[in-house]
Amino acid sequence: MANVSDTAKRLPSQENLLLDYVHRLEKRRKGRRAVHIHLSALRPFNRRDQHIRAAASNFEPLIKDLKGQMFALKNADLFFVFKDEANPHVETILQKVRFLFSDDPLILEEDKIDQDFATWYDCEKDFDAILHLVQGMDQAEKKRQTTVRSRMDARAALKVKQEQGEPLTPEVLERVITALVRADLSNLVRRQYICAVDEKMVPEEEFSELFISIKDLRETMLPNVNLLANRWLFQHLTETLDKRMLSMLTKTDSISISGQISFNINVAILLSPEFQAFDDNIAAGRRGSMTIELQKEDIFSDLSSYMFAREFVQDKGFKICIDGLSAETLRMINTEKLGVDMIKLIWDPDLVDAGDEIQDNLRDIVRQRGDKHLILCRCDDRQAIDFGHSVGIGLFQGRFIESLIAEDGRRRELMRLKRRIERS
Amino acid sequence: MLLGRLNRVETNPSGYFAVHLHLSDLQRQNKQAHFLDIAARSFSGLLDNHEATLFPLSNADMVLVCRNVPVDDVDPVVDKVRALFNEDPLTSIDEGGFEDGLSSWYDLSVSEDFAAFFHIATDLSMGADRRRDEEEKNRKAAQERDGNPLGPMNLAAINQKLQGAQVADLINQQTCLQVGAGGDGKVLFHENFISMAELKKRIAPEVNLFASPWLFQYLTETLDRRILVTLAEHDFDELGEVISINLNLSTILSRDFQTFHKAVGDNTSKVVVEINILDIFSDMNSYEYARDTLQERGYQVLVDGLSPTSLQYFEPAILQSDFVKISWGTEFESDDDDSRVNELREVVATTGKDSVILARVDTEKAVKWGLGIGVSRFQGFFIDKLVEVIRSGKKH
Repeated sequence: MANVSDTAKRLPSQENLLLDYVHRLEKRRKGRRAVHIHLSALRPFNRRDQHIRAAASNFEPLIKDLKGQMFALKNADLFFVFKDEANPHVETILQKVRFLFSDDPLILEEDKIDQDFATWYDCEKDFDAILHLVQGMDQAEKKRQTTVRSRMDARAALKVKQEQGEPLTPEVLERVITALVRADLSNLVRRQYICAVDEKMVPEEEFSELFISIKDLRETMLPNVNLLANRWLFQHLTETLDKRMLSMLTKTDSISISGQISFNINVAILLSPEFQAFDDNIAAGRRGSMTIELQKEDIFSDLSSYMFAREFVQDKGFKICIDGLSAETLRMINTEKLGVDMIKLIWDPDLVDAGDEIQDNLRDIVRQRGDKHLILCRCDDRQAIDFGHSVGIGLFQGRFIESLIAEDGRRRELMRLKRRIERS
Repeated sequence: MLLGRLNRVETNPSGYFAVHLHLSDLQRQNKQAHFLDIAARSFSGLLDNHEATLFPLSNADMVLVCRNVPVDDVDPVVDKVRALFNEDPLTSIDEGGFEDGLSSWYDLSVSEDFAAFFHIATDLSMGADRRRDEEEKNRKAAQERDGNPLGPMNLAAINQKLQGAQVADLINQQTCLQVGAGGDGKVLFHENFISMAELKKRIAPEVNLFASPWLFQYLTETLDRRILVTLAEHDFDELGEVISINLNLSTILSRDFQTFHKAVGDNTSKVVVEINILDIFSDMNSYEYARDTLQERGYQVLVDGLSPTSLQYFEPAILQSDFVKISWGTEFESDDDDSRVNELREVVATTGKDSVILARVDTEKAVKWGLGIGVSRFQGFFIDKLVEVIRSGKKH
């Protein structure tokens, strides 16, 4: 088996072959149909290799007669393109395939769920739809292969090391933590705004996130160490950073941290004496203007501590935001039951083609909990904002937002200048 | 202290009342010291503005003694404490009942109430003395057992030691059993794991390896590689029953796993790979890729590290694993809240009842509880004993 998958890696993917085929099909689309069988929606125990092979083998006679061509996709889906004349035959085969999986919810609850078992296409009429679909599949597969390569390849690891420094080790971590306790980090604190953005791309600030820049921390303290190389060691480091952040927030109740702010913290720190001291030292009214951001893995590493801490800080007036969700984890985690006030969803260009189920889920959340509940973060370009608007998301954060703010500032400055010139 | 106060109150009890908060009845995971500290702090406003004293007792209970404080001012604070422990069955109010499990009120100006409360306070005080001695002993024992917390400094040394340590003899097996409708059992797989207690004894007797969840997780990455090397020496063609192993995503995507995969050969269906939910959450993309690769090659994937409680906060079906393992805990022993059981039954059904495994099953009660929520696959001490009985029965 190892050999099979090794060769598969070097061959063009089925997705790629299918795209190639569809391109050639463009001139011969008349009199051809296609059916996309969504085996990927089956339960995992029903879509093992042998199941997929069994399903695909039903089409063998047609393929031998040159009536059609089969593509078995990476996600277990089958895509079969065939001549019009074979249509009745294909319908019969599909019934057989359905029967193979008759105990799966995909078939059993077909009326109840949105997912169809198969989607039919007329190659002539639906050519654009097919092309779009297949291009999407090819893209996804290519992307997957690149991530695979970047993970598996020793060469890639070496490149990261050369560019980002030696990976963090426990020894170095110990040194960093000791140094952090004494160092003045106030010049490493950065601020990024969370804004509403209107149709004309004018941002309106809602609150700002304060964080310690890991990049700058690295440059000032350990230029040759990649702090992010091991996520567990990094996560441990954040507990020290949390404490430093809290002490900075306590000391400088000055302009620099005024206004509505948010900051990241570990649940363990929320329950520590450091947080108690912080809470004792800030004005009662400030709590309502502060949002505490928590990571999902931290929440789930000790749910009872989270539930307790959430109750405690929300009662004090702080707001809670769950950070770092993807569309998928958002669908999986019951954020309503977790009782968070806000959610940060990480922007990913794939969201645009993510399908109705994921987009509807986002719309539902906005509809039920308001447009200030979901924040689309790490927005690098305009596409992120357009997507956010399309599903009703009201708040955005990221480099693109920072550039909008800068632009807006320049525009205001120009207007002021203009007015001054007019008056003089 | 409380008794001394009561003695003084007795001379002029008018206007005095006491509220006894039974926090000692909380479930163990909710009775942590830092939780109780925070709960006690909820009273600070009340104590500042009224004639009121809070006595945090050594058994975790708290007693609030007030003079001429409006009940309406005390209620919100008690409710705040109730809200903090919202997840604990102790705080649910029995509808129609006069008193809840969390708090008891005594009007000290009424002599019966005073006598009753004085009696309770005396009992508590006597318990406290006994407990103080016991706790001192336990604390010492625990420190000796657990040792210093794992920090980056000793982590480096331990990690180094682990890389060279023999682990083959520390690998234990635990059976996961599928219980049929007729009470018959079928072995699903044998989990191969390293006993952490024994490992600790061997490489770090003086360190508490569990002090930081993150540093512990780091250590498991090294542990993974040691286990893979050891297991790769098995002849998988000869393997009669399925085994499972715990691995980090970073290990599955590493060269060490490739080597292991070569040793497994065509027997991938005999191996279940267990992946921890913390690991999955911290890198969903790697998980999806690892899951697909494993499943394509014929391995089965199991999501580990969940509890019945965490199932109420997220839906594991989306993870598309072959199995989901949830750990039983004694806190479910007293769980007779029907709505929770019903909810869990639903979660188990959507996850696929054939894929849910209830682990850490150490009593028959746990099995019954599991069957009640629709689970039929079990693992734990109790199951190991059961398997032994079945095996010896077969021999006769």
